[in-house]
Amino acid sequence: MGSEIIRAAALLGAGICMGFGAIGPGVGEGFAAGKACEGIARSPENAGLLTRTMLVGQAVSESTGIYSLVIALLLIFAV
Amino acid sequence: MKPKTKKFLRIFLIILVVEAIISIGLKYQLRIGFNEQGKFVIQNVKTPKTIQEQIHEEFQSDKIIKIAGRFPINWNVVRVILVVDLLLILLAVLVRRKIRLVPSKLQIISEQFYSFFRELVSETIGEEKVYFTPYVFTIFIFILTCNLIGLIPIPGNMEPTRNLNVPLGMGIMALITVHYSALRAKGIKAYLKDYAEPLFFMAPLNIIGELAKGISISFRLFGNILGGAIIILVISNLTRFILFPIGLSLFFGLFIGTVQAFVFTMLVLSYTAVAIK
Repeated sequence: MGSEIIRAAALLGAGICMGFGAIGPGVGEGFAAGKACEGIARSPENAGLLTRTMLVGQAVSESTGIYSLVIALLLIFAV
Repeated sequence: MKPKTKKFLRIFLIILVVEAIISIGLKYQLRIGFNEQGKFVIQNVKTPKTIQEQIHEEFQSDKIIKIAGRFPINWNVVRVILVVDLLLILLAVLVRRKIRLVPSKLQIISEQFYSFFRELVSETIGEEKVYFTPYVFTIFIFILTCNLIGLIPIPGNMEPTRNLNVPLGMGIMALITVHYSALRAKGIKAYLKDYAEPLFFMAPLNIIGELAKGISISFRLFGNILGGAIIILVISNLTRFILFPIGLSLFFGLFIGTVQAFVFTMLVLSYTAVAIK
């Protein structure tokens, strides 16, 4: 009985972890893409550089989401 | 729509309906299409594996063998890495064999890539430190090949970056490179002084921050590739392996793979730039 409760709590925790962990990267990446759009509209000749910088910045801000994915996987498979 | 396409779609629809009828309420699962190892099969699976077990297999695809009875290696990963190395060596030999003043196609492509990275390095670190270019280019092309080799549907073929050991090893290598070049550029006194940056008792926090850089870049690569693989597996399971999701595979393999390889190299470059200046 006890181990089942622990398993249920771990699965619930994985869901909550993924759900809340995806908020931050979503907001951050959208913000970065919006700002890059503004920049490209202002100076279209720098579009390549802006896109490159945007992708790197998005991938960096995505890392918190990836951490929560790893934690969720650990909760599902290791607990 | 062409009549040939229409005919194909009709046959496909019939197969789908037959499969759905057969699998309702039975313990059978007719499997037409690619199985989880990428092999084309038409078979009636009696007791299908649950999705949990499949993801578990994907998550821990370890097969430890021992070389000469002593040294344990993870053969499932090392096998693919050896293939990647073979491809890269073959590419290097093919490019190096015929270097001419009037270049061939392969030479043009390689020179384009190399000069792109050379410009990137000289923009980020500085013109006098362009000797970082071979290292950076090697990281990029190795991770790119590792990520793209998972697209080939052969049984037992997987991205080596899906195993945490490979990105972690490259992260440790990057950390060593960053710190060694910082030590060489600044001298030992200025290097040690960086750790006591605002005040001397902040040194443990600075050390943890340096270690977190390596963990962060390796976990980013690992999580992206593994997450993509699990999403592809779950969606192929929902469509019962009839529709192998080619679009998803292309998105996670080509786009995410290329972007993550580029991000890894860019982050190594910017860590080096911060540490040197």
